[in-house]
Amino acid sequence: MNGKPDTAPDSTAPAPSTSRLGWEEFSREVVEFFASIKLAMFLFIVLAMTATIGTVIQQGERPETYVQEYGEDAYRWFVRLGFIDVYHTWWFTSLLGLLCVNSLTCFHKRFPSVWRSMRQDKVSVSLAFIQGMKQQATLSLNQSKESVAEHLVRLLAEKGYRVLAKSDPGEVTVYATKGIMGRVGAHVAHLSATVIVLGGLLGSYYGFQEFGVCLEGQTYHIPRGNFDLRVDKFWIDYHENGSVKSYNSTLTVIDQGTPTATKTITVNDPLVYKGIWFYQSSYGDAWDQIEAARINIKEKNSDKIVATVDLEWNKEKAVEGLPLKMKMTDFVADFAFNSTEKKVFSKTAEHANPAIRLTVDERSTVQSTPWVFYHYPDLFEIKDSAYQFEFIGYQPKKFTGLQIARNPGINMVWIGCTMLVVGMTLSSLIYHRRLWAKIVPGESGVTVHLGGTTHKSQIDFQKEFKKLTEKIQSKT
Amino acid sequence: MMRSLFLFDMTFWLYLAALGLYVAYLFAKRPAMQLAPAGHPIDNIEEREGAWATQLGQVATLVTVFGWVLNTLALTTRAFERMEHSGTFAPWSNQFEAMAYVSWAIILGYVLLEFRYRIKAVGAFVVGIGFIAMGAASLLPYRYQTAEPLVPALNSYWIYIHVSVTLTSYAAFAMAGGLGLMYLFKERAVNRGSQSRFYAAFPDLETIDELGYKAIMLGFPLLAFGIILGAMWANYAWGGYWSWDPKETWSLIVWLIYGAYIHARMTRGWEGHRAAVYAIFGFLMVIFCFWGVNFLLSGLHAYA
Repeated sequence: MNGKPDTAPDSTAPAPSTSRLGWEEFSREVVEFFASIKLAMFLFIVLAMTATIGTVIQQGERPETYVQEYGEDAYRWFVRLGFIDVYHTWWFTSLLGLLCVNSLTCFHKRFPSVWRSMRQDKVSVSLAFIQGMKQQATLSLNQSKESVAEHLVRLLAEKGYRVLAKSDPGEVTVYATKGIMGRVGAHVAHLSATVIVLGGLLGSYYGFQEFGVCLEGQTYHIPRGNFDLRVDKFWIDYHENGSVKSYNSTLTVIDQGTPTATKTITVNDPLVYKGIWFYQSSYGDAWDQIEAARINIKEKNSDKIVATVDLEWNKEKAVEGLPLKMKMTDFVADFAFNSTEKKVFSKTAEHANPAIRLTVDERSTVQSTPWVFYHYPDLFEIKDSAYQFEFIGYQPKKFTGLQIARNPGINMVWIGCTMLVVGMTLSSLIYHRRLWAKIVPGESGVTVHLGGTTHKSQIDFQKEFKKLTEKIQSKT
Repeated sequence: MMRSLFLFDMTFWLYLAALGLYVAYLFAKRPAMQLAPAGHPIDNIEEREGAWATQLGQVATLVTVFGWVLNTLALTTRAFERMEHSGTFAPWSNQFEAMAYVSWAIILGYVLLEFRYRIKAVGAFVVGIGFIAMGAASLLPYRYQTAEPLVPALNSYWIYIHVSVTLTSYAAFAMAGGLGLMYLFKERAVNRGSQSRFYAAFPDLETIDELGYKAIMLGFPLLAFGIILGAMWANYAWGGYWSWDPKETWSLIVWLIYGAYIHARMTRGWEGHRAAVYAIFGFLMVIFCFWGVNFLLSGLHAYA
């Protein structure tokens, strides 16, 4: 933010005495390039443009999705250019890296002069320098140069300026400065870019993010933290009008066999244990288990329902008044059959075609293990059985979807963010101002040449400058 | 019908009236600016303007302030209504409320600008944008305008600060956009040597340019703060501080665009015309980030 060619006479770069392309010159050129505002602008714009890609093209989808939407050729190009995961491509990361290099080089090149001017500034300037400034005035006062200088110094000091005065033979030069923190702020903001990116890298290399589907009452081992997590309960709270108020899971951490922490997490309130965060992320009905099923038992001969039983998961139940023992052993939410492996599986997690498998023990003679379907009650018949079973209802088992994450870079990111906000705020609200005054004695009284410069907020500075000249004038 | 909706409606009409008055004020002004030496506007307003124009200007300011008070009342009433329904009060919890809040912030910014710099002509542009924001809000279907309880992901104290800070930065960019437009109008008049009285009340080009720059200087850190607050919220709600969700990404894009602007201002040749065009472009990007993303792109912010 300090790239505006300063009108101040900072003679920092002495002209090179030799014209051959030496190492010095080369490295200066390199620094010049990497510290340039043009590069910063270029990077900002290119990053902005490339970042749009990922918002237009869905990221991280399956190949079929892209082929279907954009065609095969386009998909091949997407893969080649990394458009299906733009933000992790080498070129996008390099752009971010370049931005860091850019801001660091800028700091390296420009901060030393800011630092120097915080401590010491050049007081003596030429008259032509003052008269060449954007804000300048020439005043004639009927006073001695000492009293004018004193008045000016006091006036500026009252306004919070740091004032330096130098008395030369014949004239007094006053220099005043204010708001250097605005420039320091810009540099703090520049450094923050690298801190944030480093924090991000740290997180992506040493952190992890996983998704866990957990059933109520189950205990899961968390290998990354070497402790266990028990899901005690999952439930949903509702508003009066029926919309969802909150999703809640009660979790208990079991470390070394003993429960050490219990917390009910909600969407905005995760559990944190040993640096691992557990978030309430989603929920749903399990696709391979249910709590209970309701079965109608129909007598084949009479075609009448003779009993209705509720079966619990994997628990054998003797049906009252009938020579039957039943057990529910399997459940699939969306029935499918793999004919080569002869296996039943759930095609999706949706409850599109729910089916349970029963183990039926009829008078201890007929043993069967039929699949019964919720949507198709008459699909299969058990040959030797006197009964027909109808799967008429079930209570699904809820799972809670937990996001499990650890990010060791996060504190670094927050430090960087704080630097960014503080730095930007300083640099926006405070602007660096410099004033010079030359008080030259004339025939009657003195002539004051006043000049001032700022790198932004021109109209505010103009106002301030005008007021200041009026005040000096009114002294007479 | 909710009481707040009536107040929002009243605000809308008052802003429309204020806009009309500011435009009328521009037409009523006497072209007397040439008499003032450059950079030293005459302080006595009566001297510079016809009495008729002065009165119009005062009425315009009055109506704007009154509209803003009603806007405040509407938002407060909405906050109470929210409290009754769902136990959270942030009156910027859906698109409609967010728009109403943005126009509130734009008008507040304008009123502060007018009191500080005593330039009324800006009102024709900035109040105009505030009015359009309010109008766009009231054009939303009724179901978007009511105070439905928040979905669980939004039900957090972060909504108070993240959303308000971000929307305030949008308001600052809106002001910059309005000033950019004003700059182009004035510049055209200057280039043509137009003596039209319409432009007489406009401040000089340099002032418009500088005010626009100031608005962006305000919006830029606010947007950064808003994005960071969003990241902190995401870290509590979504399991990661940054997930390249379209809304997130677009707010970053907007920030980068203004970042380029801020840096460009440090180099020569980026004041004036280019800066004005760029400010308008930036504001269009803000509009896309605010509206376009919600309606065109899917993502985690789909509810807002």
